[in-house]
Amino acid sequence: MSEVLLQQIEKLAAEAQTKSAQLRKGETIVEVDQRQLKNFIKRLVTETSARHLSTITGLDLDQNIGIIYHFWIERNTIHVKTFVPKTAPAALSIVDIVPGAILYEMEIHDMFGITFEGNPWIDKKLLLPDNWPSDLPPPLLKNANAAEIRKRLGLEVEKK
Amino acid sequence: MIEQTGNAVRKEESAGLMKYSAENLVPFGPIHPALKEPEYFKLVLEGERIVEVIPRIGYVHRGLEKTAESRPWVQNMYMFERTCGICSFVHSLTYGQAVEGLTIYEIPRRAKFIRTIIAELERIHSHLLWVGLMGHWTGFETLFMWVWRDREVVLDLVEAISGNRVHKSMNAFCGVRRDMPEGMEDRIVERMKFLVDRANYYKQIVDTEETMLERTEGVGRISPDTAEKLCAVGPMARYVGLKHDIRLNDPYAAYEEVPFDIVTRKEGDAHALLKLRLDELIVSANMISYAVKHLPSGPIRIKIPPIIPAGEHSSHSEAPRGEIFYYVKSSGGRTPDRVKSRQPTLANLPTALEMLKGQTLADIPVVLTAIDPCFGCMDRMSFVDIESNKKWTWSGEQLRQYGISKYFPERSKKQARTHSQPGQEVTSTKLCYKEEGF
Repeated sequence: MSEVLLQQIEKLAAEAQTKSAQLRKGETIVEVDQRQLKNFIKRLVTETSARHLSTITGLDLDQNIGIIYHFWIERNTIHVKTFVPKTAPAALSIVDIVPGAILYEMEIHDMFGITFEGNPWIDKKLLLPDNWPSDLPPPLLKNANAAEIRKRLGLEVEKK
Repeated sequence: MIEQTGNAVRKEESAGLMKYSAENLVPFGPIHPALKEPEYFKLVLEGERIVEVIPRIGYVHRGLEKTAESRPWVQNMYMFERTCGICSFVHSLTYGQAVEGLTIYEIPRRAKFIRTIIAELERIHSHLLWVGLMGHWTGFETLFMWVWRDREVVLDLVEAISGNRVHKSMNAFCGVRRDMPEGMEDRIVERMKFLVDRANYYKQIVDTEETMLERTEGVGRISPDTAEKLCAVGPMARYVGLKHDIRLNDPYAAYEEVPFDIVTRKEGDAHALLKLRLDELIVSANMISYAVKHLPSGPIRIKIPPIIPAGEHSSHSEAPRGEIFYYVKSSGGRTPDRVKSRQPTLANLPTALEMLKGQTLADIPVVLTAIDPCFGCMDRMSFVDIESNKKWTWSGEQLRQYGISKYFPERSKKQARTHSQPGQEVTSTKLCYKEEGF
């Protein structure tokens, strides 16, 4: 089961001109170019038995923002990793392939400021307050300062 | 004044209701500390039927992921345990597993068993709490009282083992902090037997009691295909027949050594969920009895250095509500580089929204309770009727009374006087506050 799946993923990765690496037993990581990501995920979902998207994680990596899609199948987790430059934070939405991704993409949009093209609710806020100041950096980026966020949102508690 | 209107319009835009209400605003009160748990759904109705649901969450978002980046690894374990007041242990367990994956240490076998016992006690606690709430929202208060009394049995056991009732603080990296007290075995086995008897009795009740049958049968139907596509987790995947249980599919702790059967149902309605959770409760009780009898001897913990090697790792486990997922990234320091946590309610929300579509107004409490939401009690909802263009706001209690009166008109005549009737317009939030006794 697991062997077949690994071979399938290696084949998919080779066709997307990238490499798959095994982090440890049961965990595979594939780094895919952002332009090929949607195609890769489409093939992953239709051609292998990976159906369940656990969640999408955002990462602040200096120049880039990393996005990891965690797929889970039986005893294997497949991390599909891609990078988006901070200067142009936009990616293609996978909601039409995996409808369950809709809220995860909204969360990444709130927390990292990445716009997902094709997500019907991407202009709405999910977690951040309505009065979030637009000039503040998205909160989970490393240059966002928690103290400043509290101050700007009027959440500072006076110390006695 | 101008600024106020601006704010209101912006709120309207962010909730995505512009196309339904061009000039009028649906008033929605401030978040009040006296409300239970804040959350917000905008429902678009066509007569009695729900056409569209738009969620707005985040009112209790505390920025734990951001905070975790500035705290030592160990402190984070107890902070993440405070994410939830019901399934607290499983958060520290999953975070712990994710971090343990970056180290080279093996977890002692005894610690794995103790983790399993606590996790299963927590599942029984959560499922009992949910069955009680289901009784409350369907108007069957007796069930609520009985079930919540039995829940005390579990809480007492948890207190005897860990010293705490809610936040157990049992986990440590590569082990547990406290050993099982001596002489607990007989008591646990006896109490589990009591719980199995009670669960069997409740199964009989939900199968025969008219209130339960009428309110839950055929409500909240969804196809297995939709549930799979929307990435439903836990009981929400199992009640349509998907074999989705991480304890079985990707075992952690001692689940490989403790035998158990996965429970699935095929009906796919709220009634199936009731029976599924009661069946799971029995399975969990049997697992605890087995684990206590076969508890291996040995150390309970390995002490590890405070610096975690660089790398990234993820872990998931089966919380009472479904899959909990943690991802950690370390750069080899005393604090994590990034911690991502995903709770099962967020994963089940798209499924719940799909379940609500096509249901009537009276079924909302049952359907939303069915997913066992962590944001609980639906205290406030705005309604838009696109046929008559009416708008109004109800509190959770009003909605509950409306549901009961719809199904059992003769029962709620006495209670109905203080609550607004279907379709009655509530134009200001003040009115709602007054009715709730503020």
